Amino acid sequence: MGNKQTIFSAQQLDAYQDCTYFTRKEILRLFSRYRDLAPQLVPLDYTHQPDVKLPYELIGSMPELKDNPFRQRIAEVFSEDGEGNMTLEDFLDMFSVLSEMAPRDLKAYYAFKIYDFNNDDFICKLDLVKTLNKLTRNELTEDEVRMVCEKVMDEADMDNDGRLSLEDFQHVIVRAPEFLSTFHIRI
Amino acid sequence: MSHYSDGSFYNPAYHDSETLELDRRPPFKPRHSNPYAQDPPPPWQAARASAVSTVTGPRANADPWEGGAGRGLRALGALPLGPRPSQHQDPPPWQRPPHHSSVHGGGSYHDAAAPSRFPATFSANMTMRLRGMRRMSMFPNGDPSHLSITEGAIRNELEYEEQNLVKELMACSTKERIEGIRKLPMTYHEKKHIRNRVLASKSSKKSRHLSCLADCSESMSLILTGGMSLQSLRRCASGVAAARQALDLWQGTMKEVGGSFGSSVLSYFLFLKSLLLLNVFSFVVNFSFITVPMLAYDHVPHNVTFRGLELLTGAGYFRYTVLYYGAYRAGSFTGLLHYNIQLAYFFTIAAYMVLCGAAVLYSMASSFKMNYVLSDPVGGGSWQLLCTWDFSVTNEKAVRQRKNNLRIQLKESMSERSQGTRLTPAEKLRHFGIHLGAWFVSTSMAVGCGNAIYYLSQYEQQQATNAEDWSLAREAETLLVPFVVSLINLVVPLFYSLFNKFEPYSSQRRQIYALILRNVILKMSILGILCYFWVHEVAHKFSCWESRVGQALYRLVVFDFFFMMLGSFFGEFLSKVIGTRWIPGLGVPEFDVARNVLDLIYAQTLAWIGIYFSPLLPVLQIIKFLVLFYLKKVSLIQNCQPPRRVGRAAQMKTIFIALLFFPSFVGSLSLVAYTSWSLTPSRLCGPFKDLDSTFSVVGVWMTSLEGVPAAAWAVWVYVNVVRSEIFYFLVTIIILFITFVFWQVTQGRKLLILLLRQQIVNEGKDKTFLLDKLQALQKSHPTQHPKSKIKKQRRSGGSSTGVRSSSNAMVQTFLSVEQGSRGAHPREPPSPSHLSISFQRTPFASEGQPPSDALGLTLRAGQRAEVHQPWTPPASDPLGHPPWTPPSADPLVRVMRARDAYDGPPVPLDGGTSSGVMMQVMEARSRAEGGGGRGAPERIGPGSSSALIQAMLARQQAQNEYDDGY
Repeated sequence: MGNKQTIFSAQQLDAYQDCTYFTRKEILRLFSRYRDLAPQLVPLDYTHQPDVKLPYELIGSMPELKDNPFRQRIAEVFSEDGEGNMTLEDFLDMFSVLSEMAPRDLKAYYAFKIYDFNNDDFICKLDLVKTLNKLTRNELTEDEVRMVCEKVMDEADMDNDGRLSLEDFQHVIVRAPEFLSTFHIRI
Repeated sequence: MSHYSDGSFYNPAYHDSETLELDRRPPFKPRHSNPYAQDPPPPWQAARASAVSTVTGPRANADPWEGGAGRGLRALGALPLGPRPSQHQDPPPWQRPPHHSSVHGGGSYHDAAAPSRFPATFSANMTMRLRGMRRMSMFPNGDPSHLSITEGAIRNELEYEEQNLVKELMACSTKERIEGIRKLPMTYHEKKHIRNRVLASKSSKKSRHLSCLADCSESMSLILTGGMSLQSLRRCASGVAAARQALDLWQGTMKEVGGSFGSSVLSYFLFLKSLLLLNVFSFVVNFSFITVPMLAYDHVPHNVTFRGLELLTGAGYFRYTVLYYGAYRAGSFTGLLHYNIQLAYFFTIAAYMVLCGAAVLYSMASSFKMNYVLSDPVGGGSWQLLCTWDFSVTNEKAVRQRKNNLRIQLKESMSERSQGTRLTPAEKLRHFGIHLGAWFVSTSMAVGCGNAIYYLSQYEQQQATNAEDWSLAREAETLLVPFVVSLINLVVPLFYSLFNKFEPYSSQRRQIYALILRNVILKMSILGILCYFWVHEVAHKFSCWESRVGQALYRLVVFDFFFMMLGSFFGEFLSKVIGTRWIPGLGVPEFDVARNVLDLIYAQTLAWIGIYFSPLLPVLQIIKFLVLFYLKKVSLIQNCQPPRRVGRAAQMKTIFIALLFFPSFVGSLSLVAYTSWSLTPSRLCGPFKDLDSTFSVVGVWMTSLEGVPAAAWAVWVYVNVVRSEIFYFLVTIIILFITFVFWQVTQGRKLLILLLRQQIVNEGKDKTFLLDKLQALQKSHPTQHPKSKIKKQRRSGGSSTGVRSSSNAMVQTFLSVEQGSRGAHPREPPSPSHLSISFQRTPFASEGQPPSDALGLTLRAGQRAEVHQPWTPPASDPLGHPPWTPPSADPLVRVMRARDAYDGPPVPLDGGTSSGVMMQVMEARSRAEGGGGRGAPERIGPGSSSALIQAMLARQQAQNEYDDGY
């Protein structure tokens, strides 16, 4: 492990550990995962904080993400530029939120953002339709899609404004304890 | 609701609630004004809601104020909506409704000059809210009064916010601080920024404070600065975390299983792993505290040869080893320290049982809290759609299958819904009969199995007592009982599953519960019979009965292991072969989590019972679980398909832990306790051979301690606490009392949750209604007149602070007045003179008033408009309560009344000024509810808007109180 430490300075590692749910070892492992995506782009020395960004195409090709129907949304939500291109920090952030240690509220917040396809801070019917299509491979009829979305709205929309706010979403999450185990990507 | 209103109108509704939240600040905040006044939501609230999102989309859906009165106001520049432009970026084109793009007068508020740090700080506040610190407001001065400040000032405010956050974080302990930083829903750089600030201010504050807790792993030079204590503690914590991870067995396997089968199947493996760790712990404890001293003390080698069959039977060679109770002998040896084997045996096992109980109880309680208390009994589509997608699934095939399954499930749930199962009494009776029959058959099967095992054991015991030679054949005969027991355990559950297929169940969950319950009854009746047999027959007939029981348990454990393997062969491999080769209709089998977990629970029960009779039984259990893990993994990956139904895995997990606790652990604990309390240990072997009962070892120890003055307290405790009934009586009373109190608290909380939920719903209704009204007003009324009026007023009375603080209140006033006047003259256009008067006075009045009076002002204005009385100065009614409101009325009551009115039946319109305000509200609301409210704005009764305002005010107060109380 001694030679690996030259990747980051001690301060960097401390900062990473303070801001994510990872230990030193995991951070180094994630770094190597990150680097494996594009060895020619990512330098081995991160002490000078190089400005490296991996494009979405590379991030989305990770085995953890490549079959996830929401991979693009995940990358967009966690990348600072909003387009799915990720720095190492974004990358750490993403897996930190998706790790086992992250609390429910944090997970719920990001899950909400992932489902909010048009970034309008509400999960509206259009978002639900999109989610549904992603989850069922567009195989439901239009009628069925409409019915499901109405049902969801009906159940989850506490304040009856026709769309789900973060609060509504958190209500759903609180009542669905599986969420903690399902919104989780093992690294 | 038309689409239009969905899009553009509900947006402010959301902000409305945000506004109310903002107003919950402590009173020292300057310019606390009408919450209403914020109705044109400041863009940062939008951004606040959107947190990190860089595009504040909903702003594009211009709210009514922008389109209507607000625009005119803003055009003046006197209205403090000025800074808006600087704050939000151009919305993406798709969010801009075409009919609104023209209304956005002047691109001035789409400057897109948003400083990049804004979202970060918003999200910081978001977190604070997530963390439950709702009091901490993002905008301490964020009232409309501040809307007119420049971009620099806003930046200052954000800076201030950040400082608040930093301060708050600094006030926390080191651990909480790290947690707090981690929890912030910001990007990494923003978190780091906050962290650095916290560290910096920390180190400047307490420069030379040594934190004794933190320095355990840190060199002194680092700790000299207080800021470093954060790091040192974190290093400690991360060391612990790293150690925990090192213990994390089979991470790769878990990932693989979770990746292709989802978390419900994974829970089986996690359960297996935790049981394995429990057994490792038990082995370590028993081995180091009982076996090692025993071996060191005196180990008599025996001359029985190893024949091989012992591995199955546990008898023969093993009989004389430390595997069983019989090989331990009483005595104490004094080397470096005095060590009493008797005491060690007793206390090790007692401590192990207590620790196990605590661990299981704790995990059960936490799992219950997490998964049961808050979860909704009626899960539906929202749950299926939003929460069930398993992000850990990474296998392409599994993903495809999951999508299919989800689709089928959604379709099913929809069809179930549309059918709406109504059963005729005859059908009900038939179902009931089938259930009854199935229960009868399954229970009698369990009883029959228990009986059969009892007689079989008796027969075997007779054989054993008749012939005392231990030939191979005799030894092999002992395998009969464990074989039959395991066979029953394998076969009977299959019958149960078969019944289950024929029984009509209303929900899948009930079906699973019934299945689990039957299996548990079966397993527990078998084990109960066996225990009864051991305690009542074996214990009185054999010379070294503890070892015999230990051997019987050994055999059961071994056979259970073989049958588990057989089970996975038949249950998974064969059915796969059958399903794929011969009867394709059956398909590839699913991994039956429930059956497998029950097997594990059964196995663990055996190990727990055996802990007293065979202290090294956990070794066997460890081997068994290790092999089982790999076997199940291979079998799963080779033979099974992902589960078709996405069950409520988390709740199942809770049930399994509960089962592990209740029949399993409690049962084995009571057996062990009974054995050590009231059974006489065998006279020929074992550590307790000269005692009447195992527990009396404590008494003997205490009598030996009586002479030692240093141990007087222990003797006192033994005599007065352990042996006194009064103590247990008191403890029981206290526990019952505490339970009762907590139960009451729970009931109260439940009620509170219910009320709060209802409140959310009601607020949503309020919001919808009010927005409809506003929209109706906007549409019905041409905006040119008021705007020009306001313009004039602005110019003539253009004071700075007073106008600013009351400006939005003014808008309200304007609206209410306008409405009131229109209500009074339903067919007339609004009279400009009316408006001008009220507007002339409003800013003037508010100049001399504290900002909170703006509300009252508004109310009064509305009231005035309604009753057409001459305007009176606000000083005469300082509280601003409209006279028709009973001053003592509880805000809640008022809200209730308003709500009742809302929900009540529609009342015929009369439109007269004399009718009660509540009636007005009722009317207006029922109208809004019924006809969409937009069609008939001119029919709105006089004064209804002021009543509305009152209702909203009351609601806000109620909310404040709720908030305080909570």
